Amino acid sequence: MKPKRLLALFWTLFLAHGSLAQEHDHHAHHNMSVSDSGMVMYENKTTLPRGCDQISEDIELTIHAGAKYAENTPGMTFGMSQHEVRAPGCSRLTITFINEDQVRHQWMVHGLPKYLYSAGMFHLEAMAGRQVTGTFIVPPDDRTYLVHCDMAQHMEKGMKGQLVIGRGSGNLWSVRGVSDAFNRAPYLPDTTWPLAALALLLVAGVVTRLRR
Amino acid sequence: MTASRLLLLSGLLILFALPPQWYPQAARVQLSQWFGAAAFRPLPASVDYASAEAEVFCPPDLSGWRNERVIEGLTLPAVAGCVPDNPWSVATAIRGSNNVSADTLSKSGFTSDAVTKGRDLDGDGDPDEIHIRLEVVELNGASAEQPAPVTEYSLAPGIKPGLWVFAPKLAGMATENFESNLARPNLRLPSPTLRVEQGDRVYITLENTHYMPHTLHLHGADHGFVDSTGEGNDGVPITSEMPVMPGGARRYELTPRSSGTMFYHCHVQPHVHVMMGLQGLFIIEENRPDNWLQTINIGAGSVRHPSVAVRENYQQEYDLHYLDLDRELSAEIQRNNDPRLITRAMHREYDITDASSDYFVLNGRSFPYTFRESLIVTEPGQRTKLRVVNGGAKGIALHTHGHKFTVTHKDGSRVPEAARFPQDVVWLGTSQRADLELSSVNDGVSSYGAGIWPYHDHQYQGVTTDGIGPGGNISAIVYRDYLDDAGWPKTLGTSYTPYFTEEFYRKEIPVWEAYAPGQFSDPGSDWRLVLRIALLALGLGLAVAAVLPRRR
Ligand SMILES: [Cu+2]
Ligand SMILES: [Cu+2]
Repeated sequence: MKPKRLLALFWTLFLAHGSLAQEHDHHAHHNMSVSDSGMVMYENKTTLPRGCDQISEDIELTIHAGAKYAENTPGMTFGMSQHEVRAPGCSRLTITFINEDQVRHQWMVHGLPKYLYSAGMFHLEAMAGRQVTGTFIVPPDDRTYLVHCDMAQHMEKGMKGQLVIGRGSGNLWSVRGVSDAFNRAPYLPDTTWPLAALALLLVAGVVTRLRR
Repeated sequence: MTASRLLLLSGLLILFALPPQWYPQAARVQLSQWFGAAAFRPLPASVDYASAEAEVFCPPDLSGWRNERVIEGLTLPAVAGCVPDNPWSVATAIRGSNNVSADTLSKSGFTSDAVTKGRDLDGDGDPDEIHIRLEVVELNGASAEQPAPVTEYSLAPGIKPGLWVFAPKLAGMATENFESNLARPNLRLPSPTLRVEQGDRVYITLENTHYMPHTLHLHGADHGFVDSTGEGNDGVPITSEMPVMPGGARRYELTPRSSGTMFYHCHVQPHVHVMMGLQGLFIIEENRPDNWLQTINIGAGSVRHPSVAVRENYQQEYDLHYLDLDRELSAEIQRNNDPRLITRAMHREYDITDASSDYFVLNGRSFPYTFRESLIVTEPGQRTKLRVVNGGAKGIALHTHGHKFTVTHKDGSRVPEAARFPQDVVWLGTSQRADLELSSVNDGVSSYGAGIWPYHDHQYQGVTTDGIGPGGNISAIVYRDYLDDAGWPKTLGTSYTPYFTEEFYRKEIPVWEAYAPGQFSDPGSDWRLVLRIALLALGLGLAVAAVLPRRR
């Protein structure tokens, strides 16, 4: 697949219900609860998404976050105790997000339907050393949603995950333990290119000799 | 065809195609004597430049932030300039994020612990326990997936170098919204100006939200080498303390006995970290009763609520933060996503002793964006206080048109009256500060009257953006009569259109195209010469073919 098409695939997975013009003020929201521990935004404990007759399952999950969860992953700074969450369609997820760092972290799901989650997202933010709990109900379709921390560079440096509903709709890139880095640095030893050139010359020489 | 015939043909072709302007000078003179001058042939016409789409010069103030506002019992005066600070952020920075309503706090964007204010220790009507929390934010950094940088911030149209800043603690996302790549308005260069009162018990917690180690050093401000618990408090990794690691935090403390305009910056690999933008003004105001300070001035610039002491002598106050940036250094965080590779590139491969500066910013912007945020707006007879720092690697020769200012303080210390004189250039070396008194009394020295008077670094690279001018740290002192209702100066010169295009700063538009179309534009091509060169190539090719041995 050409890089351009790969990117397109990435964006379709990523930006699901995107519409640039719709929201300007991310902070003029409804449905927000703020405390010294952090905040829960766009919580939904009761309203069923279209196509759901009932809650299929109640799932409770605890997710830890912090620099500690990147310790065994080379090239990462921050991380979560799990980077993939799987759940059936129409399930109700209650996430307890525990921040073990001395700085803020977030656990946000994107691409949820806007008729139910006005910015298309569900958002938890835990202050340093605190925990927050929030609940949301997922739509019935098989889809993969982006989960991340939206602090500058936190997604890039390890806090990217995915929420797979049903069979999902394919993996996102750069999800730790799930998929490869989309922009992977080459990590080549310095001698690679001279050795490759040497090999090329060697092969050319040998083949020329054999053909005589 | 035989070789000799081929050679002859090629010779004739070459002779015919060879452009006369390439003949030897003597031959040309001789030919002119025989045949006279060649016929008139106009030079190639100028290339047509379709006018590039310009940004809106002064974005309309839809939310009414420029109006006079009463928030949390504070009257914030109207803002004359185009783009004001968020008034709720200003009010929260004055009252304290722990003392305002949930509504004000939410509109301010701050977290509830971003800037807390506690007890009034000296009983003079203002809080003296101040706790500021700062995070470390990367702007225009690498994305793991897309080619464009993330948490985007523009110095000028299309200019988005990688930057690090100390940022006030803001709740929620780093971007405007999820579908946007743009940094939210309060996340920006420069790191905010911090203002505390002499004698305040000040705590600053550095919450390292970034992927590299950092510290906080309070340059010039009265702080103990160790804090009250005996921990290092100077921010220097070698002599004072272990740096704050990613995800970690450290509380610095000071009770400054002396006032003045100071500075703060990271002290880890300072030649890289400070130059990436981890630096801000740190101002200690004189102690006065009922002195509620605007503890955080986001983006520096106009101080919407000056201190009591400043208001005693001045009608208004501006924080001016000058900085220069090296494009090569800034690019290092955009090339890779792996912190190990970034660390190697920035701290070992990058060599500041070979570096040059490309971008010159005032309060985090270059011209023309400086005109949106950093105009000094005055009216006749006013006195304005300017607090200036040069945080860049190069010095600045700060110059004001139409005015001579007086330097009242250097590096936070008062200049004795006898040593003061009216000047129109002040030199500030790296990290130096000066407090300037700018008077708009039209007396032939302080001011030459109302107008739009530029002020800028008079070192010539400073008025460019990567060598393209006008750019860099140019801004202006504008008298109110010369400002329109939207806050844009009623200038008498050229149009702003080219300067508000990315193409201009990408060096794609001739500099005078907007008002002299074609006259100084790029010329088109001489196709006749191109044709001659093609024939010449053909002739030479034939000649080579004639000389080479034939295949049997
Ligand atoms: Cu995070
Ligand atoms: Cu640093």
